[in-house]
Amino acid sequence: MIFIHRLGWFIGLVLFQVLVFNHVHIYEYATPVLYIYFVFSLNAAVGRKALLLWAFFLGLAVDVFSNTPGVNACACTLFAFFRPFILRTQTVRDMTDDFYPSISTMGFSHYLRYVLIGTFVLVGTIQLIETFSFLRWGSLCLKIVTGTFVSVIGILCIDSMRRKK
Amino acid sequence: MRNLLNLLLKYDYCLLFLLLEIAGFLLLFRFNSYQGSVFFTSANRVFGAVYDVAKETTAYFGLRTANKRLVDQNTELFLQIERLTEELKKYTADTVLIGEMRSNVLRSYTLYDADVVNNSVIHKDNYITINKGETDGIRPEMGVIGGNGIVGIVYKTSSHYALVLSVLNSKSSISCKIKRTEYLGLLKWDGGSSHYALLTDVPRHSEFLLGDTVVTSGYSAVFPGNIPVGIVEEISDSEDALSYILKVKLFTDFARLNDVRVISAPGREEQAELERNVAEIEEE
Repeated sequence: MIFIHRLGWFIGLVLFQVLVFNHVHIYEYATPVLYIYFVFSLNAAVGRKALLLWAFFLGLAVDVFSNTPGVNACACTLFAFFRPFILRTQTVRDMTDDFYPSISTMGFSHYLRYVLIGTFVLVGTIQLIETFSFLRWGSLCLKIVTGTFVSVIGILCIDSMRRKK
Repeated sequence: MRNLLNLLLKYDYCLLFLLLEIAGFLLLFRFNSYQGSVFFTSANRVFGAVYDVAKETTAYFGLRTANKRLVDQNTELFLQIERLTEELKKYTADTVLIGEMRSNVLRSYTLYDADVVNNSVIHKDNYITINKGETDGIRPEMGVIGGNGIVGIVYKTSSHYALVLSVLNSKSSISCKIKRTEYLGLLKWDGGSSHYALLTDVPRHSEFLLGDTVVTSGYSAVFPGNIPVGIVEEISDSEDALSYILKVKLFTDFARLNDVRVISAPGREEQAELERNVAEIEEE
Protein backbone atom coordinates (compact mmCIF):
# COMPACT_ATOMS: atom_id res chain seq x y z
CA MET A 1 0.00 0.00 0.00
CA ILE A 2 2.69 2.41 1.06
CA PHE A 3 4.62 1.47 -2.06
CA ILE A 4 1.71 2.44 -4.32
CA HIS A 5 1.27 5.68 -2.39
CA ARG A 6 4.95 6.43 -2.94
CA LEU A 7 4.79 5.50 -6.61
CA GLY A 8 1.88 7.91 -7.02
CA TRP A 9 3.96 10.77 -5.59
CA PHE A 10 6.90 9.68 -7.75
CA ILE A 11 4.94 9.77 -11.02
CA GLY A 12 3.02 12.91 -10.05
CA LEU A 13 6.12 14.90 -9.18
CA VAL A 14 8.04 13.76 -12.27
CA LEU A 15 5.15 14.73 -14.56
CA PHE A 16 4.71 18.09 -12.84
CA GLN A 17 8.44 18.73 -13.11
CA VAL A 18 8.78 17.94 -16.82
CA LEU A 19 5.46 19.37 -17.99
CA VAL A 20 5.26 22.50 -15.85
CA PHE A 21 8.33 23.45 -13.83
CA ASN A 22 10.89 22.68 -16.53
CA HIS A 23 9.25 25.38 -18.63
CA VAL A 24 9.48 28.00 -15.90
CA HIS A 25 12.63 30.08 -16.35
CA ILE A 26 12.64 33.27 -14.37
CA TYR A 27 14.84 35.64 -16.43
CA GLU A 28 16.35 32.54 -18.12
CA TYR A 29 18.13 31.66 -14.88
CA ALA A 30 16.03 30.23 -12.09
CA THR A 31 14.30 26.94 -12.84
CA PRO A 32 12.51 25.33 -9.89
CA VAL A 33 13.56 21.74 -9.15
CA LEU A 34 10.61 20.44 -7.16
CA TYR A 35 10.58 16.72 -7.95
CA ILE A 36 13.20 16.31 -5.24
CA TYR A 37 10.45 16.86 -2.65
CA PHE A 38 9.92 13.13 -3.08
CA VAL A 39 13.32 12.32 -1.58
CA PHE A 40 12.98 15.00 1.10
CA SER A 41 9.74 13.53 2.36
CA LEU A 42 10.64 9.82 2.48
CA ASN A 43 10.40 8.59 6.06
CA ALA A 44 13.28 7.46 8.22
CA ALA A 45 12.38 3.78 7.85
CA VAL A 46 13.57 3.78 4.24
CA GLY A 47 17.04 2.26 4.27
CA ARG A 48 20.02 3.98 2.75
CA LYS A 49 20.21 1.64 -0.24
CA ALA A 50 16.50 1.98 -0.99
CA LEU A 51 16.88 5.74 -0.73
CA LEU A 52 19.74 5.72 -3.27
CA LEU A 53 17.75 3.56 -5.69
CA TRP A 54 14.59 5.69 -5.44
CA ALA A 55 16.66 8.84 -6.01
CA PHE A 56 18.54 7.39 -8.97
CA PHE A 57 15.40 6.33 -10.80
CA LEU A 58 13.67 9.59 -9.95
CA GLY A 59 16.54 11.53 -11.51
CA LEU A 60 16.66 9.18 -14.49
CA ALA A 61 12.94 9.64 -15.15
CA VAL A 62 13.33 13.41 -15.21
CA ASP A 63 16.45 13.06 -17.40
CA VAL A 64 14.75 10.94 -20.02
CA PHE A 65 12.01 13.54 -20.40
CA SER A 66 14.31 16.53 -20.61
CA ASN A 67 17.03 14.99 -22.82
CA THR A 68 19.78 15.37 -20.25
CA PRO A 69 20.68 11.68 -19.62
CA GLY A 70 22.71 11.29 -16.44
CA VAL A 71 22.59 14.87 -15.16
CA ASN A 72 19.65 14.63 -12.77
CA ALA A 73 20.34 10.96 -11.98
CA CYS A 74 23.88 11.78 -10.78
CA ALA A 75 22.80 14.84 -8.81
CA CYS A 76 19.86 13.05 -7.19
CA THR A 77 21.97 10.06 -6.14
CA LEU A 78 24.57 12.39 -4.64
CA PHE A 79 21.88 14.20 -2.68
CA ALA A 80 20.34 10.92 -1.48
CA PHE A 81 23.78 9.85 -0.28
CA PHE A 82 24.05 12.96 1.89
CA ARG A 83 20.41 13.08 3.04
CA PRO A 84 20.86 10.98 6.22
CA PHE A 85 23.70 13.24 7.37
CA ILE A 86 21.81 16.45 6.63
CA LEU A 87 18.72 15.10 8.33
CA ARG A 88 20.66 14.10 11.42
CA THR A 89 22.16 17.56 11.86
CA GLN A 90 18.69 19.13 11.76
CA THR A 91 16.71 16.82 14.05
CA VAL A 92 16.87 17.25 17.80
CA ARG A 93 14.94 14.20 18.90
CA ASP A 94 15.82 10.61 18.09
CA MET A 95 14.18 9.46 14.93
CA THR A 96 11.63 6.69 15.07
CA ASP A 97 10.83 4.63 12.00
CA ASP A 98 7.61 6.46 11.22
CA PHE A 99 9.33 9.84 11.29
CA TYR A 100 8.38 11.85 8.21
CA PRO A 101 10.51 14.95 7.69
CA SER A 102 8.06 17.85 7.34
CA ILE A 103 7.36 21.29 8.81
CA SER A 104 5.05 19.86 11.44
CA THR A 105 7.43 17.18 12.72
CA MET A 106 10.65 19.19 12.59
CA GLY A 107 9.59 22.77 13.15
CA PHE A 108 9.87 25.45 10.49
CA SER A 109 13.44 26.62 11.00
CA HIS A 110 14.93 23.12 11.15
CA TYR A 111 12.93 22.01 8.12
CA LEU A 112 13.94 25.14 6.21
CA ARG A 113 17.60 24.47 6.92
CA TYR A 114 17.23 20.82 5.93
CA VAL A 115 15.58 21.73 2.62
CA LEU A 116 17.97 24.61 1.97
CA ILE A 117 21.13 22.51 2.35
CA GLY A 118 19.67 19.60 0.38
CA THR A 119 18.42 21.75 -2.50
CA PHE A 120 21.71 23.61 -2.66
CA VAL A 121 23.60 20.31 -3.06
CA LEU A 122 21.19 19.15 -5.77
CA VAL A 123 20.92 22.38 -7.80
CA GLY A 124 24.65 22.99 -7.45
CA THR A 125 25.48 19.54 -8.81
CA ILE A 126 23.00 19.81 -11.69
CA GLN A 127 24.36 23.20 -12.78
CA LEU A 128 27.99 22.11 -12.40
CA ILE A 129 27.48 19.01 -14.56
CA GLU A 130 25.53 21.01 -17.16
CA THR A 131 28.10 23.75 -17.56
CA PHE A 132 31.34 21.99 -16.95
CA SER A 133 32.55 22.33 -20.50
CA PHE A 134 32.27 26.11 -20.63
CA LEU A 135 32.61 27.60 -17.23
CA ARG A 136 31.29 31.05 -16.59
CA TRP A 137 31.48 31.53 -12.88
CA GLY A 138 29.19 34.52 -12.71
CA SER A 139 26.23 32.98 -14.48
CA LEU A 140 26.85 29.58 -12.82
CA CYS A 141 26.65 31.07 -9.31
CA LEU A 142 23.60 33.13 -10.23
CA LYS A 143 21.89 30.02 -11.60
CA ILE A 144 22.65 27.98 -8.47
CA VAL A 145 21.55 30.68 -6.03
CA THR A 146 18.34 31.65 -7.84
CA GLY A 147 17.50 28.01 -8.64
CA THR A 148 17.93 26.99 -4.98
CA PHE A 149 15.84 29.95 -3.83
CA VAL A 150 12.86 29.21 -6.10
CA SER A 151 13.01 25.47 -5.40
CA VAL A 152 13.07 25.93 -1.62
CA ILE A 153 10.03 28.21 -1.76
CA GLY A 154 8.22 25.66 -3.95
CA ILE A 155 9.08 22.74 -1.67
CA LEU A 156 7.90 24.64 1.43
CA CYS A 157 4.62 25.37 -0.39
CA ILE A 158 4.09 21.70 -1.32
CA ASP A 159 4.84 20.62 2.24
CA SER A 160 2.46 23.08 3.88
CA MET A 161 -0.29 22.18 1.39
CA ARG A 162 0.19 18.52 2.21
CA ARG A 163 -0.01 19.27 5.94
CA LYS A 164 -3.34 21.09 5.61
CA LYS A 165 -4.83 18.11 3.80
CA MET B 1 39.25 -12.11 3.84
CA ARG B 2 36.44 -12.33 6.36
CA ASN B 3 37.25 -8.86 7.61
CA LEU B 4 37.24 -7.53 4.08
CA LEU B 5 33.84 -9.06 3.44
CA ASN B 6 32.51 -7.59 6.68
CA LEU B 7 33.85 -4.21 5.71
CA LEU B 8 32.20 -4.43 2.30
CA LEU B 9 28.89 -5.50 3.84
CA LYS B 10 29.04 -2.68 6.34
CA TYR B 11 29.56 -0.06 3.68
CA ASP B 12 27.49 -1.64 0.93
CA TYR B 13 25.43 1.51 0.49
CA CYS B 14 28.66 3.35 -0.40
CA LEU B 15 29.32 0.75 -3.09
CA LEU B 16 25.76 1.12 -4.38
CA PHE B 17 26.22 4.89 -4.40
CA LEU B 18 29.40 4.63 -6.47
CA LEU B 19 27.76 2.15 -8.83
CA LEU B 20 24.77 4.43 -9.46
CA GLU B 21 26.98 7.47 -9.97
CA ILE B 22 29.08 5.54 -12.50
CA ALA B 23 25.91 4.48 -14.31
CA GLY B 24 24.78 8.12 -14.38
CA PHE B 25 28.05 9.40 -15.78
CA LEU B 26 28.14 6.62 -18.38
CA LEU B 27 24.75 7.83 -19.60
CA LEU B 28 25.98 11.41 -19.58
CA PHE B 29 29.01 10.72 -21.73
CA ARG B 30 27.53 8.13 -24.02
CA PHE B 31 24.78 10.52 -25.08
CA ASN B 32 27.42 12.85 -26.49
CA SER B 33 28.50 10.33 -29.09
CA TYR B 34 26.55 10.54 -32.28
CA GLN B 35 25.89 6.82 -32.43
CA GLY B 36 24.36 6.77 -28.93
CA SER B 37 21.03 5.13 -28.39
CA VAL B 38 17.80 7.03 -28.83
CA PHE B 39 16.30 5.06 -25.95
CA PHE B 40 17.21 7.42 -23.10
CA THR B 41 15.74 10.50 -24.76
CA SER B 42 12.28 11.94 -25.14
CA ALA B 43 12.20 10.49 -28.68
CA ASN B 44 11.57 7.18 -26.93
CA ARG B 45 8.10 5.93 -27.76
CA VAL B 46 6.55 5.99 -24.27
CA PHE B 47 7.95 9.33 -23.24
CA GLY B 48 7.18 10.88 -26.60
CA ALA B 49 3.57 9.79 -26.18
CA VAL B 50 3.32 11.52 -22.78
CA TYR B 51 4.54 14.75 -24.33
CA ASP B 52 2.08 14.28 -27.19
CA VAL B 53 -0.85 14.22 -24.78
CA ALA B 54 0.44 17.24 -22.89
CA LYS B 55 0.98 19.10 -26.14
CA GLU B 56 -2.54 18.34 -27.35
CA THR B 57 -3.86 20.02 -24.21
CA THR B 58 -1.58 23.02 -24.06
CA ALA B 59 -1.64 23.73 -27.81
CA TYR B 60 -5.09 25.31 -27.41
CA PHE B 61 -3.77 28.02 -25.14
CA GLY B 62 -1.45 29.33 -27.83
CA LEU B 63 -4.00 29.28 -30.67
CA ARG B 64 -4.86 32.94 -30.40
CA THR B 65 -1.32 34.23 -30.87
CA ALA B 66 -0.60 31.52 -33.44
CA ASN B 67 -3.60 32.66 -35.44
CA LYS B 68 -2.58 36.27 -35.28
CA ARG B 69 0.92 35.44 -36.47
CA LEU B 70 -0.43 33.37 -39.34
CA VAL B 71 -2.68 36.18 -40.47
CA ASP B 72 0.24 38.59 -40.36
CA GLN B 73 2.37 36.23 -42.40
CA ASN B 74 -0.43 35.54 -44.83
CA THR B 75 -1.05 39.18 -45.59
CA GLU B 76 2.64 39.76 -46.01
CA LEU B 77 2.88 36.82 -48.42
CA PHE B 78 -0.18 37.92 -50.35
CA LEU B 79 1.33 41.32 -50.88
CA GLN B 80 4.59 39.75 -51.94
CA ILE B 81 2.93 37.42 -54.43
CA GLU B 82 0.99 40.32 -55.82
CA ARG B 83 4.11 42.37 -56.31
CA LEU B 84 6.14 39.49 -57.74
CA THR B 85 3.53 38.44 -60.29
CA GLU B 86 3.39 42.04 -61.46
CA GLU B 87 7.17 42.03 -61.85
CA LEU B 88 7.12 38.70 -63.58
CA LYS B 89 4.48 39.85 -66.05
CA LYS B 90 6.68 42.76 -66.95
CA TYR B 91 9.65 40.56 -67.75
CA THR B 92 8.03 37.67 -69.53
CA ALA B 93 4.75 37.06 -71.21
CA ASP B 94 5.50 33.38 -71.64
CA THR B 95 3.05 31.60 -69.35
CA VAL B 96 4.48 28.19 -70.12
CA LEU B 97 7.79 29.28 -68.66
CA ILE B 98 6.14 30.43 -65.43
CA GLY B 99 4.34 27.13 -65.04
CA GLU B 100 7.56 25.26 -65.57
CA MET B 101 9.40 27.33 -62.99
CA ARG B 102 6.68 26.79 -60.44
CA SER B 103 6.66 23.02 -60.80
CA ASN B 104 10.47 22.97 -60.67
CA VAL B 105 10.50 24.68 -57.29
CA LEU B 106 7.93 22.26 -55.93
CA ARG B 107 9.66 19.22 -57.30
CA SER B 108 13.02 19.94 -55.76
CA TYR B 109 12.09 19.73 -52.05
CA THR B 110 9.91 17.48 -49.96
CA LEU B 111 8.37 19.10 -46.89
CA TYR B 112 7.12 17.10 -43.92
CA ASP B 113 4.72 18.72 -41.48
CA ALA B 114 5.53 18.08 -37.81
CA ASP B 115 4.54 19.32 -34.34
CA VAL B 116 7.00 20.12 -31.59
CA VAL B 117 6.18 17.96 -28.57
CA ASN B 118 9.13 18.86 -26.35
CA ASN B 119 11.54 21.75 -26.39
CA SER B 120 14.04 23.47 -24.13
CA VAL B 121 16.09 26.67 -24.30
CA ILE B 122 18.01 26.85 -21.02
CA HIS B 123 20.49 24.03 -21.28
CA LYS B 124 23.89 24.18 -22.90
CA ASP B 125 22.73 21.57 -25.41
CA ASN B 126 19.10 22.02 -26.30
CA TYR B 127 17.08 19.46 -28.22
CA ILE B 128 13.60 19.54 -29.73
CA THR B 129 11.39 16.48 -30.02
CA ILE B 130 8.97 16.34 -32.97
CA ASN B 131 6.13 13.90 -33.52
CA LYS B 132 7.28 12.49 -36.88
CA GLY B 133 9.82 9.71 -37.23
CA GLU B 134 11.26 7.15 -39.58
CA THR B 135 7.89 5.76 -40.62
CA ASP B 136 6.95 9.25 -41.85
CA GLY B 137 10.15 9.51 -43.88
CA ILE B 138 12.24 11.57 -41.47
CA ARG B 139 15.96 10.72 -41.51
CA PRO B 140 18.88 12.11 -39.52
CA GLU B 141 20.54 15.24 -40.96
CA MET B 142 17.42 16.64 -42.57
CA GLY B 143 16.87 20.37 -42.00
CA VAL B 144 14.07 21.71 -39.81
CA ILE B 145 12.51 25.15 -40.30
CA GLY B 146 9.75 27.05 -38.55
CA GLY B 147 7.40 29.76 -39.81
CA ASN B 148 9.99 32.48 -39.25
CA GLY B 149 13.29 30.79 -40.01
CA ILE B 150 15.60 27.88 -39.35
CA VAL B 151 15.15 25.73 -36.25
CA GLY B 152 17.75 22.96 -36.40
CA ILE B 153 18.82 19.65 -37.86
CA VAL B 154 17.33 16.18 -37.24
CA TYR B 155 19.73 14.34 -34.92
CA LYS B 156 18.23 10.97 -34.06
CA THR B 157 15.06 9.24 -35.15
CA SER B 158 12.87 6.53 -33.67
CA SER B 159 9.93 5.03 -35.53
CA HIS B 160 7.42 7.76 -34.60
CA TYR B 161 9.47 10.60 -33.13
CA ALA B 162 12.63 12.47 -33.95
CA LEU B 163 15.11 14.41 -31.87
CA VAL B 164 16.19 17.69 -33.46
CA LEU B 165 19.52 19.35 -32.69
CA SER B 166 18.36 22.91 -32.08
CA VAL B 167 20.38 25.92 -33.28
CA LEU B 168 20.66 26.56 -29.52
CA ASN B 169 23.09 23.68 -29.03
CA SER B 170 26.84 23.84 -28.62
CA LYS B 171 27.18 21.06 -31.21
CA SER B 172 25.19 22.91 -33.85
CA SER B 173 27.08 24.51 -36.75
CA ILE B 174 25.19 25.68 -39.85
CA SER B 175 26.63 27.26 -42.97
CA CYS B 176 25.09 30.71 -43.50
CA LYS B 177 25.75 33.84 -45.53
CA ILE B 178 25.00 37.53 -45.43
CA LYS B 179 22.14 37.97 -47.86
CA ARG B 180 23.20 41.28 -49.39
CA THR B 181 26.88 40.58 -50.02
CA GLU B 182 26.96 36.74 -50.05
CA TYR B 183 29.86 36.42 -47.60
CA LEU B 184 29.88 33.10 -45.73
CA GLY B 185 30.05 32.24 -42.03
CA LEU B 186 29.17 29.47 -39.60
CA LEU B 187 26.19 29.85 -37.28
CA LYS B 188 27.00 28.68 -33.74
CA TRP B 189 25.66 29.14 -30.25
CA ASP B 190 27.64 29.67 -27.07
CA GLY B 191 24.91 29.52 -24.46
CA GLY B 192 23.23 32.55 -22.97
CA SER B 193 20.13 34.14 -24.44
CA SER B 194 17.87 32.07 -26.67
CA HIS B 195 17.30 35.08 -28.94
CA TYR B 196 20.86 35.36 -30.19
CA ALA B 197 23.40 33.16 -31.98
CA LEU B 198 26.86 33.87 -33.38
CA LEU B 199 27.96 33.94 -37.00
CA THR B 200 31.62 32.96 -36.77
CA ASP B 201 34.50 32.69 -39.27
CA VAL B 202 33.28 35.64 -41.32
CA PRO B 203 36.32 36.62 -43.45
CA ARG B 204 38.19 39.81 -42.56
CA HIS B 205 37.62 41.40 -45.97
CA SER B 206 33.88 40.81 -46.08
CA GLU B 207 31.37 43.63 -46.26
CA PHE B 208 28.34 43.90 -44.04
CA LEU B 209 26.41 46.39 -41.96
CA LEU B 210 24.47 46.22 -38.75
CA GLY B 211 20.94 45.19 -39.65
CA ASP B 212 21.94 42.99 -42.59
CA THR B 213 19.89 39.83 -42.96
CA VAL B 214 21.61 36.45 -42.50
CA VAL B 215 20.28 33.49 -44.53
CA THR B 216 21.35 29.87 -45.05
CA SER B 217 24.01 29.45 -47.71
CA GLY B 218 22.55 26.42 -49.45
CA TYR B 219 26.00 24.88 -49.77
CA SER B 220 25.31 22.04 -47.37
CA ALA B 221 23.03 19.16 -48.18
CA VAL B 222 20.83 19.99 -45.20
CA PHE B 223 19.20 23.33 -45.97
CA PRO B 224 18.29 24.93 -49.27
CA GLY B 225 19.68 28.44 -49.70
CA ASN B 226 18.08 31.73 -48.61
CA ILE B 227 16.12 30.49 -45.62
CA PRO B 228 15.98 33.40 -43.18
CA VAL B 229 18.10 33.08 -40.02
CA GLY B 230 18.34 36.49 -38.34
CA ILE B 231 19.65 40.03 -38.33
CA VAL B 232 23.21 41.22 -37.59
CA GLU B 233 23.11 43.13 -34.32
CA GLU B 234 26.69 43.38 -33.09
CA ILE B 235 30.15 43.02 -34.61
CA SER B 236 33.26 41.82 -32.80
CA ASP B 237 36.68 40.32 -33.60
CA SER B 238 37.46 36.64 -33.17
CA GLU B 239 40.09 35.68 -30.58
CA ASP B 240 42.85 35.31 -33.17
CA ALA B 241 41.63 38.51 -34.90
CA LEU B 242 41.62 36.72 -38.27
CA SER B 243 37.86 36.89 -38.73
CA TYR B 244 34.74 38.64 -37.49
CA ILE B 245 32.14 37.25 -35.11
CA LEU B 246 28.67 38.66 -35.67
CA LYS B 247 25.96 38.52 -33.03
CA VAL B 248 22.77 37.55 -34.87
CA LYS B 249 19.28 38.17 -33.53
CA LEU B 250 17.39 35.03 -34.55
CA PHE B 251 14.03 35.29 -36.32
CA THR B 252 12.80 32.06 -34.73
CA ASP B 253 11.52 32.42 -31.19
CA PHE B 254 12.76 29.12 -29.77
CA ALA B 255 10.83 29.49 -26.54
CA ARG B 256 7.53 29.22 -28.41
CA LEU B 257 7.94 26.71 -31.22
CA ASN B 258 4.88 24.81 -32.39
CA ASP B 259 4.60 23.87 -36.05
CA VAL B 260 7.77 23.03 -37.92
CA ARG B 261 8.58 21.64 -41.36
CA VAL B 262 11.27 19.06 -42.06
CA ILE B 263 12.99 19.58 -45.40
CA SER B 264 14.35 16.81 -47.52
CA ALA B 265 16.34 18.00 -50.51
CA PRO B 266 16.71 15.76 -53.56
CA GLY B 267 20.23 14.45 -53.96
CA ARG B 268 20.72 15.07 -50.24
CA GLU B 269 22.15 11.62 -49.69
CA GLU B 270 24.23 11.79 -52.83
CA GLN B 271 25.86 15.07 -51.79
CA ALA B 272 26.43 13.87 -48.22
CA GLU B 273 28.01 10.67 -49.54
CA LEU B 274 30.30 12.62 -51.86
CA GLU B 275 31.40 14.97 -49.06
CA ARG B 276 32.06 12.03 -46.75
CA ASN B 277 34.23 10.37 -49.39
CA VAL B 278 36.29 13.53 -49.86
CA ALA B 279 36.72 13.88 -46.09
CA GLU B 280 37.92 10.28 -45.87
CA ILE B 281 40.43 10.76 -48.68
CA GLU B 282 41.76 13.90 -47.00
CA GLU B 283 42.22 12.07 -43.73
CA GLU B 284 44.35 9.45 -45.43
